[in-house]
Amino acid sequence: MAIALIILYLLAAYSLLGIIFALYFVCIGMNRLDPSAIGSHWTFRLLVLPGAAALWPWLLRRLASTHHSYTSPPPSHPESPS
Amino acid sequence: MSLSYTWVGWSRQKKIYDALMLSAIVLYLAVFVALARAFQAPGQGLSDVQLLIRALGTAAFILLHIVLCIGPLTRLDRRLLPILYNRRHLGVTTFFVALAHAVLSLVWYHGFGNLSIPLSLLVSNTNLRSISQFPFELLGAFSLIILFLMAATSHDFWLKNLSPRTWKNLHMLVYIAYGSLVLHVVLGVLQQDTSPVLVAALTIGVSVVSGLHIASALKESTADRVTPGVSIVPPDVAPTGWVDAGSIDDIPESRARVVCLRSTGNVPGERVAIFKYDGKVSAVSNVCAHQGGPLGEGKIVNGCITCPWHGYQYLPESGQSPPPFTERIRTYNVRIEARRIYVNPAPNPPGTPVSPALLPEASHRNI
Repeated sequence: MAIALIILYLLAAYSLLGIIFALYFVCIGMNRLDPSAIGSHWTFRLLVLPGAAALWPWLLRRLASTHHSYTSPPPSHPESPS
Repeated sequence: MSLSYTWVGWSRQKKIYDALMLSAIVLYLAVFVALARAFQAPGQGLSDVQLLIRALGTAAFILLHIVLCIGPLTRLDRRLLPILYNRRHLGVTTFFVALAHAVLSLVWYHGFGNLSIPLSLLVSNTNLRSISQFPFELLGAFSLIILFLMAATSHDFWLKNLSPRTWKNLHMLVYIAYGSLVLHVVLGVLQQDTSPVLVAALTIGVSVVSGLHIASALKESTADRVTPGVSIVPPDVAPTGWVDAGSIDDIPESRARVVCLRSTGNVPGERVAIFKYDGKVSAVSNVCAHQGGPLGEGKIVNGCITCPWHGYQYLPESGQSPPPFTERIRTYNVRIEARRIYVNPAPNPPGTPVSPALLPEASHRNI
């Protein structure tokens, strides 16, 4: 029981931090990481949110190593999700 | 062509595909519940919710089989390529069907006790060393986590920002999810219901998935071994180390031949697509920068090599996507002597412009 509780608390903490980070990421962070995301629709950002919450340590590390600032979005291919 | 991300790239064909897929799933669930209710053994007494749980579970399992079979099927027969285009939607749908199965199961079997549902799942069965009593739900939960990660990262945003290699590795976890799901079924359902029909269905499913993968792997490996004409050529015909990639007459206009260059010295082996177009021949890597699609199975459209998987395009002379796009693939130096194509196996960096070799008839016209 004790081990199960520890696992669940750790999962809950990871998820809570992930959700908080994901909200920041889809509103602000993703524009810094990928200029193609600048000006994208909120439905696309909503689609990215679950992945950002799950992979937040990796994204946080990527953001920390990104110091560039972008002014205009470069293009990317359009055939996005098939 | 748009220049920013969209949430779903729906076309008319994709909408039809999705509508058919969802209709088939709903029909399957309805037929499963109706038939199970009609043919339920006396005294078994499964409720409609329990039947729906089983219907959703089997639907997700069947969908995962279909998802896994699409890749090898398209490698075995190129006419099936269109079914590959919407595989991502099928995969995401598989996750949602599996999620519905999991949520209903958790609420039904763990939602009415004193413990919270997650805690009940972890502590209600701890017989990890028993086969007949194994907590098979945990195996299902493990698979669901992998399916979630795949569904959540299915958008091209993730492909670009995780890097294609990391994204591909992440999505290869589907095979671990599949293995875990097979165990989930064997240690769960088949412990309670040893119907020969279920055992046969599971055996056939696993055999089809593994058989198709083995067949497609054998086909590709055989194709690499018997690529005609690929051999090292003497230095009086072409510079030392170049390989003979066959006759130009064997390549249809605007199409390619794929040759597998062996690794030699510091040069790694790679499949190279040699395209013939407009009186010229160019060679590029066979691997699309998007999702690793086989460029050599595509064709030249509007002057660009067009990937058969998702339509990504590259200029044959430079391996660069046409402006304003930015993808790049490796290029190779080629020459033509006596109607045979010779390729330098040392690749140029991605996006390096290379002069195409002119076909003899085109050269004469230019003179």
